[in-house]
Amino acid sequence: MEPILKIEKLSHVYSPGTPFETTALRDVDLDIYKGEILGIIGHTGSGKSTLIQHLNALIKPTSGRVLLNGRDINESKQSIREVRGRVGLVFQYPEYQLFEETVRKDIAFGPKNMKLPAEEIERRVLEAARFCGVEEELLERAPFDLSGGQKRRVAIAGVIAMMPEVLVLDEPMAGLDPRGREEIMENILSYHDETGAAIVIVTHSMEEAARHAGRMAVLEHGTVALSGTPEEVFSHGEALRQMGLATPVMTDVADKLCKLGVKLPGTVYTVEQMVDALMALEGGRADAS
Amino acid sequence: MLRDITLGQYFPGTTVVHRLDPRTKILMVVVYIAALFNAKNWISYAAVLAFLIFAVAVSRIRLSAMLRGLKPVVFIVVLTSLLNLFYARGEPIAHWWIFTITREGIKAAVLMAARLIMLVMGTFMLTYTTSPIMLTYGLELLLNPLKKLKVPVHELAMMMSMALRLIPTLIEETDKIMSAQKARGAEFDTGNLIEKAKAMLPVLVPLFLSSFRRADELATAMEARCYHGGEGRTRLNVLKFARRDYLTFAVGLLLLAAVLVLKRFGL
Repeated sequence: MEPILKIEKLSHVYSPGTPFETTALRDVDLDIYKGEILGIIGHTGSGKSTLIQHLNALIKPTSGRVLLNGRDINESKQSIREVRGRVGLVFQYPEYQLFEETVRKDIAFGPKNMKLPAEEIERRVLEAARFCGVEEELLERAPFDLSGGQKRRVAIAGVIAMMPEVLVLDEPMAGLDPRGREEIMENILSYHDETGAAIVIVTHSMEEAARHAGRMAVLEHGTVALSGTPEEVFSHGEALRQMGLATPVMTDVADKLCKLGVKLPGTVYTVEQMVDALMALEGGRADAS
Repeated sequence: MLRDITLGQYFPGTTVVHRLDPRTKILMVVVYIAALFNAKNWISYAAVLAFLIFAVAVSRIRLSAMLRGLKPVVFIVVLTSLLNLFYARGEPIAHWWIFTITREGIKAAVLMAARLIMLVMGTFMLTYTTSPIMLTYGLELLLNPLKKLKVPVHELAMMMSMALRLIPTLIEETDKIMSAQKARGAEFDTGNLIEKAKAMLPVLVPLFLSSFRRADELATAMEARCYHGGEGRTRLNVLKFARRDYLTFAVGLLLLAAVLVLKRFGL
């Protein structure tokens, strides 16, 4: 299958030729496929944020290319404009970018910049508000009157209103309470399920990545250190811990059981898998539950 | 990118120039400017220039950085040189319409350009080799006598260091907000002047909000750490003049004296 976004040998150097020169990315190869959920994990300073800003041409690569459906996104002004509409990027703490007088106008900012007709903008605003659980009566309120969680959802709706084929979110749940996190994740998943858009989530929470991502890429010092399905990635528990990344709690439990002599089949990283794995032991004593 | 602004930027280093007491460097800039403005002939200029070149060489600041810093003043340099070129009286060597170029005019223009460039470069040496914290600390100590006249020296220095501290943060913040709005299809470099000004609104509103929020948080954080003004406040690193500082003073004052003597005798 052809990837929708293809990152080829991407390198990025900040402030080249000054004492502040730093290499943020080094020869990164990564593909993003239609309709998948990709989790990008890495320590602070591993290059995650730099990487995702390349995905919609906000940053130009020092070397290497980013291809959208096989075409270099940095080819021309036209291609840059196009990729901004097709790859939506939600920054960390997106609520700090709200600026309009009303929630409705703020969500409409993206579609308006895409020069869509008025009815289409209106349709998209409502659609995006629905995806993000923003109630209709909130649309006329000033965004600064809302609660933290509501602001976050309005800001995400502002990107979803552009109906991107790839939705990239940088730590979308950072700084929210557990309920707020849950809601945001549901909003993102509903957009994914209904439109078939690819989702790229940057996080350092292994639990979240484990639960939702179909594929994961682990960044370390600007390179992709590990990638594959969560099973594959979490099977390198020791390597992950050495990178300063916590493995999911269930993987830790399984590792400890293993050390105690209880061998569980396969890689375990969610509670459900743990239950299944434990049930499978002892010749399936299902009645034990 | 916004972060490429060099004006007033600090280039970290460990050379002798970097390690000089900030008070020494501030006073040396004053001495240097005094020497520069009293230089009336080629020999004096050469002496001041030699002093500057020596300082730049020792500090290991790259020439490209020095030249890049000159960009914003090019216009002023060209303008003042042109004015000097045409306004000086003396022996005419070329004449066209209302413009007369004299030998004295050429000399004045060249020297004025040299003076301005050396002035800017000299002051850059101060900001390039001194961290903003050291700079304000030095300034605070130098201005301390003014406390007797009820000038709030400490508060002014604190405000200055906070402002300097926040400039890079604000630039970073602006960058981030601009990127976020660009991701939503905003364009900042197209359209006429009014459209461009309008396009800045989605950046300015969040920037103002975050500045106020930041100021508020900073004030709270300072209070939480018992900040209550300069009264009785002590320093972790107390500045002390070293031998290199006295040596620098000696060289600087020698330069100024030489320039003044040359001026007095009109050589």
